[in-house]
Amino acid sequence: MTFYEDNKELYDSIPAEKFQLVQNNEDIHDAAFRTKPIGFFKDVWLRFIRNKASVIGGIIILIIMVFAAIGPSMNSYTYTEQHTDLANMPPKVPWIAKLNLGIMDGHYTLTKRQYDNIKDTSKYPEGCILKLKNPRIINGVKIVDVVVDYYKYKGLDDSQCYWLGSDYLGRDIWTRLWKGTRISLFIALFSVLCNVIIGVIYGSICGYYGGAVDMVLQRIMEIINAFPRIVVLTLFIMVAGTGMFSLIMAMVIKGWIPIARMIRSQFYRFKGHEYVLASRTMGTNDQKLIFRHILPNSIGPVITQAMMAVPTTIFSESFLAYIGLGLQAPNSSIGVMLSTGQKVLMQYPTQVLYPAIIISLLMICFNLFGDGLRDAFDPTQRGVS
Amino acid sequence: MVRYILQRILAMILTLLIILTVAFMVVRLMPGSVFDLDPELSDTAIKAMNAKYHFDQPMIKQYGYFMADVLFHNDWGTSIAMRPNVAVWDILKDRIPVTLKLNLISLFAALPFGLFFGIVAAINKNTLVDHLVSLMVVLFISIPSFIYAAGLQYFVGYKWKWLPLIYDPAAHGWAQFRSMILPMLALSFDPIARVARYLRAELIENINSDYMLLAKAKGLTFRQSIMRHALRNSMVPMMNIIIPMFAEVLSGSLVIESIFAVAGMGGLMVDSINSSDHMLTVAILMFYSLISLITILIVDISYGIVDPRVRMGVKG
Repeated sequence: MTFYEDNKELYDSIPAEKFQLVQNNEDIHDAAFRTKPIGFFKDVWLRFIRNKASVIGGIIILIIMVFAAIGPSMNSYTYTEQHTDLANMPPKVPWIAKLNLGIMDGHYTLTKRQYDNIKDTSKYPEGCILKLKNPRIINGVKIVDVVVDYYKYKGLDDSQCYWLGSDYLGRDIWTRLWKGTRISLFIALFSVLCNVIIGVIYGSICGYYGGAVDMVLQRIMEIINAFPRIVVLTLFIMVAGTGMFSLIMAMVIKGWIPIARMIRSQFYRFKGHEYVLASRTMGTNDQKLIFRHILPNSIGPVITQAMMAVPTTIFSESFLAYIGLGLQAPNSSIGVMLSTGQKVLMQYPTQVLYPAIIISLLMICFNLFGDGLRDAFDPTQRGVS
Repeated sequence: MVRYILQRILAMILTLLIILTVAFMVVRLMPGSVFDLDPELSDTAIKAMNAKYHFDQPMIKQYGYFMADVLFHNDWGTSIAMRPNVAVWDILKDRIPVTLKLNLISLFAALPFGLFFGIVAAINKNTLVDHLVSLMVVLFISIPSFIYAAGLQYFVGYKWKWLPLIYDPAAHGWAQFRSMILPMLALSFDPIARVARYLRAELIENINSDYMLLAKAKGLTFRQSIMRHALRNSMVPMMNIIIPMFAEVLSGSLVIESIFAVAGMGGLMVDSINSSDHMLTVAILMFYSLISLITILIVDISYGIVDPRVRMGVKG
């Protein structure tokens, strides 16, 4: 029974000329799209650039990457070049030194020097003394702290300088810092890439086939996951040695599990959908169903989770360096620089300062960047963390 | 429920045994370890080594002896480099309390601050206060604890001389506590931020729920409705992030302890790795495994109590 049949009398009582077609004289607005269609990635991009913090995070990451690429070749030092007579030089950048800000001008405070020796040019070369501080008398000897231009004190001319100072073997910290950043980033990105590949394949098999296969693979995953992270890292490095490859492998042992879990749950969510069923009915094979039809649904979460894993991996690398399982000399990484700098923290705090700034920036920016990606890929997740 | 708990405990023991096995393989099979007998050793020395470590037996028997020593005699071997000829267990037993004390105090000292920041941020959602707390959370979570440790040690300890630079094992009472403040601070930043972030999200969700509307409708003040209803409901899931956080704090303290020279497990582990004292390293790693497995066990069981679906084995 339709509406018309119910009210037949009412409709038939209206004369035919009173009827008029809607849209008779109007433009039909939805005949064609006036604007260009927005695809998935365009949509994500538009949402992403609205989040200022993550855009800034992304830009800072890019800047650090550019410096990691070109930084080591920006001056004449190499990262292994040692000048043991020029160990622990303070930072000096000529154009900053000219501004007289008191930073990066190569000054260094020599504490507890005898006042009587100040005029002795064999000990203090011409013009190296900037300031005398804190005069006091200890055991009848006049003692002062002398602020010197350390480069002149060492008898170097103006042309030679270490931009960020040198370490305990007289190696240039600028070169080593960027070289180290490059290696840390490489370890992080490469191990995350391995994690994604393993996690996607493992999770796909678990989620797609389900049943007994899933059951067995899940148990294996649970066992691996039960090992505490530090224990795995430490034992693996102890056996495999402290090369870059074994560091990457150590990060992979447990790192793929969160991605596999996520992919598995995505498969469980999508494999029952009608479009998958339709495709299967038409004879699509497993491989195509997995990679063409179901997996692309998870591309957002995979990218997000991979980005979130990068800072964790950078942290793990530094952590291992701190407990003595980092890269071996003469290699450099952020963690190695931090842990060697830590030993002379009180005397030369700048040796910790610069790697600390880089690792903090990287950690903060990758976290912000990851947050932004998560919100852009899945707006319903906004604010959940 | 009892069945579920027994299952979890069994799984935990199994995991520990696997880790022990791996540890055995690491110590015995690692190239260049002390257990590669030096051919220049005298016969008596070799005999003594064999009597102690059973090198003349096949590997599977060595494994049996190792497991039996560890499991039934609490014999973790002997330190060879750090404190030669001292039993590993004797070294550990003085250190464990120090580490536990440091970490437990850091975690529990962090809680009230985390709760406070979380509540303040949730109540003042999307105001300046909330944004400041969010900034703090990002900084505290992102920047590694050893960076904070270095900063605190340099500025508070060395430049301004407010607190001792390193841990003082000889001091007692207040003086010792003072020397523990800096490592505790460095360790507590991360839990503070995590608790604050989690509580903020939970509390905001609860504030927007229907029962809060009812509470308001029946005439409770804002403060009453927050304290009596929203906060209580937000605290239930908090337990599940606080317990695993202990394992995280503990792993952070590995580095922090060695930076501040705390005479605990962390510093010991760093030293033992650097001096290749493998027996010691393995025993310390087992300690960390045990702690982290226990925290997982507690969380699993508490989930099972709170949510019956978990112990029925229903997969989400």
